[in-house]
Amino acid sequence: MNAPLLEVRDLAKRFVGRAGRDQPLWVIKDLTFSVADGEFLTIIGPSGAGKTTLLNMIAQIDVANGGEVIFQSQPAPISDPKALDPGLHCRIGYVTQEDNLLPWRTTLQNVLFPLEVQGRLNDETRKHADMLIRAVGLAGFENHYPHELSGGMRKRASLIRTLVYDPPVILMDEPFGALDAQTRTQLQEDLLRLWNLGRKTIVFVTHDIAEAIALGDRTLVLSRAPAKIAGEHVITIPRPRDIRGIMMHPDFAELYQRIRAQVQ
Amino acid sequence: MSALGDTREAGGWAAGRAVAWLRARGDQIIVLVVLIAIWQVLSMMLGVYWVSSPWGVLQRFVTGIAGGDLLVQASYTFTEAIIGFLIGAIPAALLPFLLRRWPMAVAILDPVMVGGYGAPKLALAPLFILWFGIGIESKVALVAITVFFIVYFSALAGVRALDHKLVQMAQVLGANEHHVARHIVFPGAVPYIFTGLRIAMPYSIGGAVIAELISANRGLGYLVQLGAMNFDTTGIFTALAMTTCIVFIGNWSVDALERRLLRWRPVSDQKLQAEA
Repeated sequence: MNAPLLEVRDLAKRFVGRAGRDQPLWVIKDLTFSVADGEFLTIIGPSGAGKTTLLNMIAQIDVANGGEVIFQSQPAPISDPKALDPGLHCRIGYVTQEDNLLPWRTTLQNVLFPLEVQGRLNDETRKHADMLIRAVGLAGFENHYPHELSGGMRKRASLIRTLVYDPPVILMDEPFGALDAQTRTQLQEDLLRLWNLGRKTIVFVTHDIAEAIALGDRTLVLSRAPAKIAGEHVITIPRPRDIRGIMMHPDFAELYQRIRAQVQ
Repeated sequence: MSALGDTREAGGWAAGRAVAWLRARGDQIIVLVVLIAIWQVLSMMLGVYWVSSPWGVLQRFVTGIAGGDLLVQASYTFTEAIIGFLIGAIPAALLPFLLRRWPMAVAILDPVMVGGYGAPKLALAPLFILWFGIGIESKVALVAITVFFIVYFSALAGVRALDHKLVQMAQVLGANEHHVARHIVFPGAVPYIFTGLRIAMPYSIGGAVIAELISANRGLGYLVQLGAMNFDTTGIFTALAMTTCIVFIGNWSVDALERRLLRWRPVSDQKLQAEA
């Protein structure tokens, strides 16, 4: 394989104790991994393992207290709060846990927002946005405001808002965490379908082992804080995968057991 | 599925709302009728000389409107209020945005703003008449300064209520400082600004009338003053009734503008806002 698209080296993050009285708490320490171009990497860890903090640092919206994030062989300015460049010039997409749609914009306006601020709004990109809206079943809801959409619809809108400008890497922070099982499976299928179209590089954080196996090419297990890599598993289940039937696959049970043993 | 359910729910809900609306209007009319009845009884007990009478005021009101004089006087007051409202509200709404990058400036200005907000504006009226004369300028100045402080604090609250997660998200999506101000900070503060405008609107009309009371040769405040000098309570009440009408028109305009600009808000939020 070529040089990895994204590398995380010895990354560390600490939270300062209250008014300096308590000991500083290391949430992440000596965390190292890399992501290949076109890979779907899932990261699993117990709650409080610093998963969101990790993604925030990779997305350049939070500073690190040590280590490096290297994107396309170039180190990102991750330790200096003033030099932070959120999204590294639109090259790192980020689908957060909450949908963070702008409440005063309609579905379509929200999806077009990145194109608008990046100055890339033209007939071609509009058509692409339209295709994505139809692909995730939001056709007919283009002119609805976020409060008029269901939770699943808002998730879909926030997902395609990132897909629409085609960043080389997309980070996803438990995007389907708060949804009911049915909607969740539907969205996982949608995501795999969209990923198959473009084969983007995805770093997908979750606390659900089945989801990590069903979606990923490779799964990393994070330990409790300070988070380190507790295990790495290549998901051998061939694609295209059937999300609904994935538990029946002969490799699933064994992978599940192995990962489960490492998730503390 | 969910959309269908929503629509059906919305249908039943709209019908329920219509009934509630009618009931509220009905109750409002009852309150109004009771108040007018009390007034009528008082005028019969105490004499028309002291408290005038609803019928007398209505007659004078209609004659005033038909003769055009009442409308001309009202238009003076209305003009003063609107010009002062705009001169006060627009800078007050913009200032917190301009100062957003300099929290230091906001902190330095804070005592001045709090003082200005708390100072009784009525006491400024004689000063403004000294400075700007008895024409429209002094009234506009009084209205503007009254409105300014109210709207400034609501706009400031709006800027401070900024959701930083939305800002971070927008930055990741490629938004620069200008985009953030225009697409995140401003739309987020608009509901707060409207709370300020809603409170400031009656004050602007009241401010204009008070300035006229102190010194003027026209306007509704002048009519009140004239009525007082001539022991003409009906004249005073007529001018007050006209003032109330203008306040209603002002409130209705702010409401209409708000409904238009804040279509994106859930209805329950708007209702809360309206009740607040």
